[in-house]
Amino acid sequence: MTATTTTTFDLPDAAATRAWGTALAGLLRAGDLVVLTGDLGAGKTTLTQGIGAGLDVRGQVASPTFVIARVHPPLHDGPALVHVDAYRLGSLDDVDALDLDTSLEDSVTIVEWGEGLVEGLADDRLEVTLARPRGDFDENDDASAGVRHVRVRAVGERWSGVVLPRPHVG
Amino acid sequence: MSEPLVLGIETSCDETGVALVRGRELLFDAVASSMDEHARFGGIIPEIASRAHLEAMVPTIRRALAEADVDLAEVDAVAVTAGPGLQGPLTIGASAAKALSVALGKPLYGVNHVIGHAAVDELVHGAFPERAMALVVSGGHSSLLLVDDIATSVTELGSTLDDAAGEAFDKVGRLLGLPYPGGPHIDRLAREGDPTAIRFPRALTLPKDQAEHAYDFSFSGLKTAVARWVEARRDAGEEIPLHDVAASFAAAVADVLTAKTIRACELHGVDTLVVGGGFSANSQLRDMAAERCAEAGITLRIPPIRYCTDNGAMIAALGSALVRADVAPSSLDIPVDSSMPLTLTHV
Repeated sequence: MTATTTTTFDLPDAAATRAWGTALAGLLRAGDLVVLTGDLGAGKTTLTQGIGAGLDVRGQVASPTFVIARVHPPLHDGPALVHVDAYRLGSLDDVDALDLDTSLEDSVTIVEWGEGLVEGLADDRLEVTLARPRGDFDENDDASAGVRHVRVRAVGERWSGVVLPRPHVG
Repeated sequence: MSEPLVLGIETSCDETGVALVRGRELLFDAVASSMDEHARFGGIIPEIASRAHLEAMVPTIRRALAEADVDLAEVDAVAVTAGPGLQGPLTIGASAAKALSVALGKPLYGVNHVIGHAAVDELVHGAFPERAMALVVSGGHSSLLLVDDIATSVTELGSTLDDAAGEAFDKVGRLLGLPYPGGPHIDRLAREGDPTAIRFPRALTLPKDQAEHAYDFSFSGLKTAVARWVEARRDAGEEIPLHDVAASFAAAVADVLTAKTIRACELHGVDTLVVGGGFSANSQLRDMAAERCAEAGITLRIPPIRYCTDNGAMIAALGSALVRADVAPSSLDIPVDSSMPLTLTHV
C-alpha cells in the first residue's frame, strides 16, 4: 500500500495562495507531479502562478484550458513547468497523448482538473484540493476574494517525511 | 520586382490552414478542421489533432495551389506558425514548411500566430496606417498590440493575466449547462437578455490598477462571480434566468475589452483599431466596439469571421509583410514554441 499523508489549512486570499505556491516550488524538482482539484474559480491557476514564480520559468502562467498544455521553459537552472488543463480531455491514459516536447522526468508537471484522470501517471504525487466560498457575494465585493480551504494529499515515497510549507500569515 | 508570392501554413490548434498570398492579395485560403473527430471524443486530444494535421497537410497544400492556380515553383517564400499553440500540431506544420523550403530552395519564415491574427486584416482592408492598435481575442488569447509596423515593430501593451475572453465564455457556458463550445450559445442567449440585469465585476478597471495593469485583462474573477451567482440561485432552488446571466456576463467582457482598447488608442494617438481572433465573432463585442469607436472617432477594422478564426491566410499575410520588409528568414532548425512570446513576430 502506498504511503499517503494529508494536510489541511486555509489560505486567506489570492496573494496567500500565490505565496504558498511559491514556497511549494522550493520543494519541487524534476519529475514531480501535482494534481489540482477545485471548482471554477477555486484558485488553481493562481496557485500555479505562484509555483511558476518560485520555479523561475518563462512566460505568463495563465489558464492553459484552450491549449490543453503549456510548457514554460526554465529561465535559469532548474526544471521546466508543464501546466496541463485536463478540463476538456475525455481521458488521459498516457501523457504521450499530450504530445509534449518535454519529458515529465525533466519537468515539474501541474495538472488542473486532473482528478480521476492522471493518477496513473506517477506513483508519487501531490493532490491539492482547493475550495472557495460558495454562493452569492456582495455586489461591491470581489467574487474571487475569500478564504480557500486547502487539502494536500501527499502520495508515495517521494513525499514521505517531506514537510510541506505552512501558509504565510500576515 | 513584383509582389512576393508567399505560401502560409497554420497548424497551431485544430485547423489545418494553407493559403497563398501575393503582396497583400489573397489568392486562396484552404482550411481543413479536425473538430468533428474531437467531438467524437468529447474534447480536443492533442495527439488526434496532430494526426489529423498530418493527414490533411498534403491534400490541403495541393488544394490551395490548385485553387490559387499557381505552381509550387512560383512560391517566393514559405511562412509557418512557429507558436504559440499545441506542440504536436505546430511541429507538423513546421516540418511541412521546412520540407517545402528545402525542396524549393526558398526562404522559411516561422511566425507568431497571435500577430498573424492582426496581419490578416491587411488582406481585407488594405495596408495598415502608420500606427494602429490591434486587439486579438480568441479561445486562447486576449492581447492588445500597438502596431507601428506589422513586420518589424509590434509592442504588446497588455494581455490576459488568467483566462482568455473566449475561454471565459466556454467555461461560463459549461456552468450554465450549454453544449461545448459554449461561446456561440452564450452569444445567442445574450441577444435576448438584459445586459444590465446583473452587475458583474469589471476587473482591472479601477484607478489603482492603472499603474501596473492599464492594458491587461483578467476574466477569472468574472467567471467566479458568475459561478457564485448561479450557485446561490441553484442552492435556493430558483430558476436561472439564462438570458439575463448570458447578457450581463457578455456585456462585462465586451465592456472591459473595448474600454481598455479605446483608452489605449487615445493615449497612444491611434485612430485605427483592428480586431482579430476567433472571439471577434462575438456580437456583443462587435456591437460595443462599433459604438465606442464611432464615438471616439476611431476607424474599426474587423475582418470577416472566416479570417478571424485560425487560417493559413493570416500566416501568409504576416510572411508577406516580413518578406516586403526585407527581414532575414528563419533558420531551418527553428524550434516550435507552444508559449511563444509576443515580443517575437518571427523566429
